[in-house]
Amino acid sequence: MKTTILAALIGSTMLTAAWAADVPEGTTLAEDQTYTYRVLDEYDSLDPQMLEGVESSTVVRDLFEGLYNMDAKGELVPGVATSHDVSDDNLVYTFHLRDTAKWSDGKPVTANDFVYAWKRAVDPELASPYAWYMELMSIAGAAEIIAGEADKDTLGVKAVDDNTLEVTLSKPLPYFADMVAHATTFPSPSWAIEAHGKEWTRPENIVGNGAYILTEHVPKERLVRERNTRYWDNEHTVLDKVVALVIGDENQALTRYKAGELDKTDIPAGQYPALKDELPDEAYAVPRLCNYYFSFNLSDTGLEAFKDVRVRKALSMAIDRKVIVDAVLKGGQFPAYNFTPEATAGFELPEIDYAGMTQAERDAEALRLMEEAGYGKGGKPLEFAYLYNTSDSHKQIAIVATQMWKQKLGVNATLENQEWKVFLENRGNQNFDMARGAWCGDYNEASTFLDLLASSSGYNDAKYSNDRVDELLTEAKTSHDTTPLYTEIEQIVAEDMPVIPVYHYSVNMMLKPDLKGWPMDNVMQKMYSKDMYKVAE
Amino acid sequence: MLQYTFRRTLAVLPTIICLIVICFFLMRLAPGGPFTSERPLPPAIMANVLERYGLDQPLHVQLWTYLKNIFFHFDFGPSFSQRDRDVNDIIAAGFPVTLTYGFWSAVFVLALGIPLGIIAALRQNSLWDYIMTGFAIFSQIFPNFVLAPLMVLTFTLAWGLLPGGGWNGGQWEYVIMPAVALGTSYLANVARITRSSLLEVLGAPYIRTARAKGLAERTILWRHALKPTLLPVISYMSPVFVYMITGSVFIDVFFSTGGIGQSFIDAAYTRDYSVILGLAILYSVLTFVLNLGVDLAYAAIDPKVRSGLK
Repeated sequence: MKTTILAALIGSTMLTAAWAADVPEGTTLAEDQTYTYRVLDEYDSLDPQMLEGVESSTVVRDLFEGLYNMDAKGELVPGVATSHDVSDDNLVYTFHLRDTAKWSDGKPVTANDFVYAWKRAVDPELASPYAWYMELMSIAGAAEIIAGEADKDTLGVKAVDDNTLEVTLSKPLPYFADMVAHATTFPSPSWAIEAHGKEWTRPENIVGNGAYILTEHVPKERLVRERNTRYWDNEHTVLDKVVALVIGDENQALTRYKAGELDKTDIPAGQYPALKDELPDEAYAVPRLCNYYFSFNLSDTGLEAFKDVRVRKALSMAIDRKVIVDAVLKGGQFPAYNFTPEATAGFELPEIDYAGMTQAERDAEALRLMEEAGYGKGGKPLEFAYLYNTSDSHKQIAIVATQMWKQKLGVNATLENQEWKVFLENRGNQNFDMARGAWCGDYNEASTFLDLLASSSGYNDAKYSNDRVDELLTEAKTSHDTTPLYTEIEQIVAEDMPVIPVYHYSVNMMLKPDLKGWPMDNVMQKMYSKDMYKVAE
Repeated sequence: MLQYTFRRTLAVLPTIICLIVICFFLMRLAPGGPFTSERPLPPAIMANVLERYGLDQPLHVQLWTYLKNIFFHFDFGPSFSQRDRDVNDIIAAGFPVTLTYGFWSAVFVLALGIPLGIIAALRQNSLWDYIMTGFAIFSQIFPNFVLAPLMVLTFTLAWGLLPGGGWNGGQWEYVIMPAVALGTSYLANVARITRSSLLEVLGAPYIRTARAKGLAERTILWRHALKPTLLPVISYMSPVFVYMITGSVFIDVFFSTGGIGQSFIDAAYTRDYSVILGLAILYSVLTFVLNLGVDLAYAAIDPKVRSGLK
């Protein structure tokens, strides 16, 4: 048995204060500790095991607490668990739970509540669309249970006693512990679920173990959560009340923010520079773990010309990403020449040859490659359709990119936009020449992006297949030094160019200056209301 | 009249069943389904999810189950996009909201539009008439999607008098702007219709007779001219009222009221079949009820119609 570094670190920090709002001494707190923010749409679910949406998991992180939480930098900190041990073969994780954790109805939080929740997540009868997360965590038996081949009680998770949870994996997973900060793994109250069925998440029925309890939920209008006095670390919670308002129109949300109705809202596309000038202390652009790319269709239904790697590379090099980032998006996004965002934890940006060139050099190289392949100016005409889902910013990017191809390479790309689900259906069935793609990391590790390029991935819309990449991805799953592996993958992908990386995201938001503790450095943007506070103005 | 109402109700049932069947198949013709997502579900999970919601059954079985649940249990099925809720919950939460601001909007339209129209007609070609006509044109060129942002900029951002959106249980300050923004263009139409209708009625022979026998102008207006004047207003308002209380998509989205109008759009985008169907049924039942109401109101006002109903 070995104790992880995390556990060792925690051992000392626990003696001082628990992780909560980090209020510097001498701060005068505001009288009214209410935080109000905008969400785009109604929540898909408030059931930890059922939800898929990013906003839903933000609420659920307040209402429930998992084994571990994340701090302002995105590092793991204790939640219900204080530490864990890992067996020598890296297959068995033993989590030690604090005995002070309580549900909002006063019952103690035990290892059995986790066992119940995890079995629930893979239960075909509940049919959670997020069940794949448990499979991704490599918990023994998860895949078989989901497929209906085994009983849910065979899942590799058991309560050794009330405060000890033992998890068995089917294969070693170096980042397993990082994954237990996700909502799907939060405990759930069996008694409340059995009593109220799917209505158990209503304010009148819900039982949680988080820092807040749900007090009001009007669908498509508002959701209110208030301090849970039974939370084990309640004395360090500062915000008393958190209100989420559903506001579909982002410009309208911005107006209401300016009128003082909101403490946080999103910045509509392209408005960041103007707002930064107008309200410099309130407009923020911070990196976010998402990428944006153009995917070729490399399957049999794809264009013949795209089977030629020179054509693919030429199209990639001819895109001036700086123009897209600085003139179109204008929100502090990052030009991308590789697939994984630089902000990903433990990821070192690999050396990619064309990333180091000037745009003039790239353009010259693009022209040369295109000529060599016999297409474009002076060669065979190259025509294709670029498919994207209907949206203003996607359209602007599409116009700029296709213009660059036309001017620099003499390539004719037509624009084709489709409604979201029609788009997904066509892209998923390789019914396109080139299509827009974007991906946000599920967890803060490069494989959440690179796995998309595995031949077996269900998200590999390009139908890219490279044996060496597959091999390296498999190796990375169990390796403790992934950097050389990921570097090689990125370099192979840059040589093969199955997708054209365009940019990596940033989050653009308005935040009132009296609200403190927003996790700016957490690229997953996982905020916990209990870590924030409002100062007196 | 009771018998008439009953007959009409019976006749509408087949219409609604046809509507359900058509909607049911139309929605499934649209590419993608409720669980098509950017992250395609692995086949085993997709199979579990489809089974849970009965979407793995042949279409005719799904339709039959759906119809059975509606007629025998008044259950419009689960929502796929809000997984903790049923369609009944969604309508129960959103419909009172649109009903409230739609009702106040209708009150605003009628209470202002009819008097405006009457004054304009009685003072034809006067300043009042011109103001009214000017207002009508103004509200046509300022549709609600222009008016609403202007109202928010003025009353919320500049003067800080009213909240810029939300519902908050339907407190009056949250209702005013949605109701006014929704109603303004109808208000102008009601005023215009009232004006021309009253002018026409005032030129009718029986009004001349009334004047000839020396009735006071006021009595002529209130006792004899007003009722027939309102008939075109009523037929105009009936579909408008259905539209108002089932929610304008724009008003719901812009003011974030949580009303039912927004669910229409969201459900279409997310392919939330049962929500779209539930709302389509609600919409058609309301249209039917209000049309019936209009016919009965006609009968109450117009003796000629009354005798025809028997």
